[in-house]
Amino acid sequence: METLISNKLLQFVADLGPTKLHVPVSLQAAAQAYLKDQDFPTTKTERFKYTRLAKLNNAQLSAAHQLDVAQLEQHSVLTDAYTIYVNNDQIKIPQNLPTGLEINLNTQDSGAFHEASFYDVFGALNILHAQNGVSISLAKNCTLDKPIQIVQVNSGGKYFYRHHFNFGANAEATIFFVSKQQDQTTSFSHTHLQYNIAQDARIKIFKLQDTAQNHFDFYEDRAQQAAKSHFEINTLTLDGSFVRNDTMVAIKGEHAQTYLNGAYWLKEEQHVANYTTIDHQVANCESFETYKGVAADRSTAVFNGKVFVRKDAQKTNAYQSNANVLLSENASVNSKPELEIYADDVKCSHGSTTGQLDDNALFYLRARGLSSASAKTLLLQAFMEDVLTYVKHEEVLSYMHQRIAERFNWNY
Amino acid sequence: MSNYTENELAKDLENQEYKFGFVTDIEADTVPIGLNEDIIRLISLKKNEPEWLLNYRLKAFGIWQEMTEPEWAHVQYQKPDFQAISYYSAPKQTKKYESWDDVDPEMKETMKKLGISMEEQQRLTGVAVDFVMDSVSVATSFKEKLSELGIIFCSFSDAVQEHPELVQKYMGTVVPSTDNFYAALNGAVFTDGSFCYIPKGVRCPMELSTYFRINAGGTGQFERTLVVADEGAYVSYLEGCTAPQRDENQLHAAVVELIALNDAEIKYSTVQNWYPGDKQGKGGVFNFVTKRGICETNAKISWTQVETGSAVTWKYPSCILKGDNSVGEFYSVAVTNNYQQADTGTKMVHLGKNTKSTIISKGISAGKSQNSYRGLVQIHKGAQNARNFSQCDSLLMTDECGAHTFPYIECKNPTAKIEHEATTSKIGEDQLFYCMQRGISEEKAISLIVNGYCKEVLNQLPMEFAVEAQKLLAISLEGSVG
Repeated sequence: METLISNKLLQFVADLGPTKLHVPVSLQAAAQAYLKDQDFPTTKTERFKYTRLAKLNNAQLSAAHQLDVAQLEQHSVLTDAYTIYVNNDQIKIPQNLPTGLEINLNTQDSGAFHEASFYDVFGALNILHAQNGVSISLAKNCTLDKPIQIVQVNSGGKYFYRHHFNFGANAEATIFFVSKQQDQTTSFSHTHLQYNIAQDARIKIFKLQDTAQNHFDFYEDRAQQAAKSHFEINTLTLDGSFVRNDTMVAIKGEHAQTYLNGAYWLKEEQHVANYTTIDHQVANCESFETYKGVAADRSTAVFNGKVFVRKDAQKTNAYQSNANVLLSENASVNSKPELEIYADDVKCSHGSTTGQLDDNALFYLRARGLSSASAKTLLLQAFMEDVLTYVKHEEVLSYMHQRIAERFNWNY
Repeated sequence: MSNYTENELAKDLENQEYKFGFVTDIEADTVPIGLNEDIIRLISLKKNEPEWLLNYRLKAFGIWQEMTEPEWAHVQYQKPDFQAISYYSAPKQTKKYESWDDVDPEMKETMKKLGISMEEQQRLTGVAVDFVMDSVSVATSFKEKLSELGIIFCSFSDAVQEHPELVQKYMGTVVPSTDNFYAALNGAVFTDGSFCYIPKGVRCPMELSTYFRINAGGTGQFERTLVVADEGAYVSYLEGCTAPQRDENQLHAAVVELIALNDAEIKYSTVQNWYPGDKQGKGGVFNFVTKRGICETNAKISWTQVETGSAVTWKYPSCILKGDNSVGEFYSVAVTNNYQQADTGTKMVHLGKNTKSTIISKGISAGKSQNSYRGLVQIHKGAQNARNFSQCDSLLMTDECGAHTFPYIECKNPTAKIEHEATTSKIGEDQLFYCMQRGISEEKAISLIVNGYCKEVLNQLPMEFAVEAQKLLAISLEGSVG
């Protein structure tokens, strides 16, 4: 029987087949149910209040074309790492992995947690249509000698990716997730990243988002933390015309620590939205959140941070801050730091600022002979450097500095 | 030796009963329940309204019918059945009172229990009171004194009769009927309220005050307040509320519009203590209010509110800073207890250059209550050098209550400076320890800390009102704060 394509959302995924990855049937059914009667969210939907999807809906995506190994390798940022290349339907997994580290195609049951809770339609679409993804697991007590690098290169088309990470007890690892764009193709990607962190594990994630114009870059990060684990996600948005990060961390074991940091350097017509949720489910945990950004030209930055403290999560300490500098008359910043607290013995705070450079500081530098432009640059660099201090990796840091310098004429 | 602990304070809060729960037994002239065009025509006819106002009501009703009840607020309640409400109720006496002696003694008794005996008010405090009992203004004092200065302060229905040009000019300009569901409902069925006009350059010599009171069971109240301060004028307006104890929910959907023309200043203070429902969360008033002010050049609007009552509160007194150099302020203390739910805050919309806004919000949650701050700071493109400072603090008294913050900050101008900070905590053990170590008993220390916590807001209240506000806070947090 022929089904009529009734709405734009169904039309959007009409050319995509069912997922090739391992996704439980129950979860697919839940996603189907969630998507029933849903269309593209409009600005009336709370989570898309500041994001206009008409642009995506109307975009003419380029035809997907597969890149060769040489092309892929150009996009690597780290030289010494276990590097995985993801590009459309293909995936390149490194050989000679150390004991304890396993990297597979995400087509088998990798022991991932599957929660049927959806914040938006894209998460549900991902469940039904994910074409590609890896599952990475690190055995307990295993400390990786070098970082894992995932280079995901977009080259046209429309792709849903699903990557699962399993970190055993007391494991330690750093992961760089690099998102890039080949040439001037127009494409869409939605990436679901899932982190399962066992007790005492120490995990750092760095998301380097450096795509080009005309790429729609959606992320859905879901993490679960067990007791005494340390987990860090740093989302560094260097470029990309349309970037949306939706990060959610559920803290399920006591004495866990969570760090969420983000930085964005926006210019031209860029739209970058960071949605974060930290769900404190148990007592005695700490979370720290810092998002900072500059917005120039006609760019828009959106920050929506939510700290959720459940009834039994006593002795929670949660701190959140968002600071923005607007550099142009046509740029805009929308910030919504939320607290939702159901326990009484907690210390929670958030702060949000939007402003410009301090005149006194500028004067101080001008009085010492700096030009107006270089004084401004210096202060902006210092403002953003806060978040960059978390990037302890020299190679990555110099790559970032170089990219920022290219785009903003800042000298490092 | 005092062993008063926070737990006991919480217990006290739970046990405390509503003090002002009584019903005045006056025959009320009530229209049949339900809502349709005929009812609106009937209300308009009973109030002897001009045609333009009837048309305004019918238009608002048409808009309301198209709308659905908003659900975004962080509150849960049984939605009112709008067809089961009587939209008009007036005390039955038809003759106007010749003097204060003619007033129904029972009504006087009500006022006495509220502590606003008319004579006393007139003689001692110099506050002109426009006492609204179930929608119809019963007595207005100091009218002459005010009219010497050209100040108009009367009930909304009187204003419609006597100053239709002013009412028609300003009504619905700040809160149009299309604004939201409850504003539209109010636009259709509002019964009475207050009207105040301060002419050019006049500084109102006294605080203007209105006591609203919900009476007859099953009647919703739909007040409409319009305050206009002409160029260079100043007025301080007080609004205070108490309601009798009821078992069924009562709906209150008021609209307050403030208009501050060039160089004018309006200070609007509210103490709200409607019946919050009993300890099981049964009954209580639904308080769904739209309050908004507009500031022209160099004007200032300051909202101060102390919210202790109502089962469900949904209220965002806002400022539209349209003129250059205009200033908006919002100071709020919201106390929720038992099963009360409050979703309150403000909106500051910066349109003009050099506009400034300050938001200080203090929430105290006890019992099983939910207390949310929801605010919007919006800097538009033309608002050069706009400045905002927001501070939203929450104090949690028990582990069963909740405190939430939902601030929206939208900036479209690079010269604007916006600061927002929020904290949530319980009374710090270190603070308590500090006080007790200096010989202050635990009970007094808690009271001291809570008082200090709210002081920033209470200080904003006019003298005459501060006493009442402290009284209400004391009742709300009985046994601990005084």
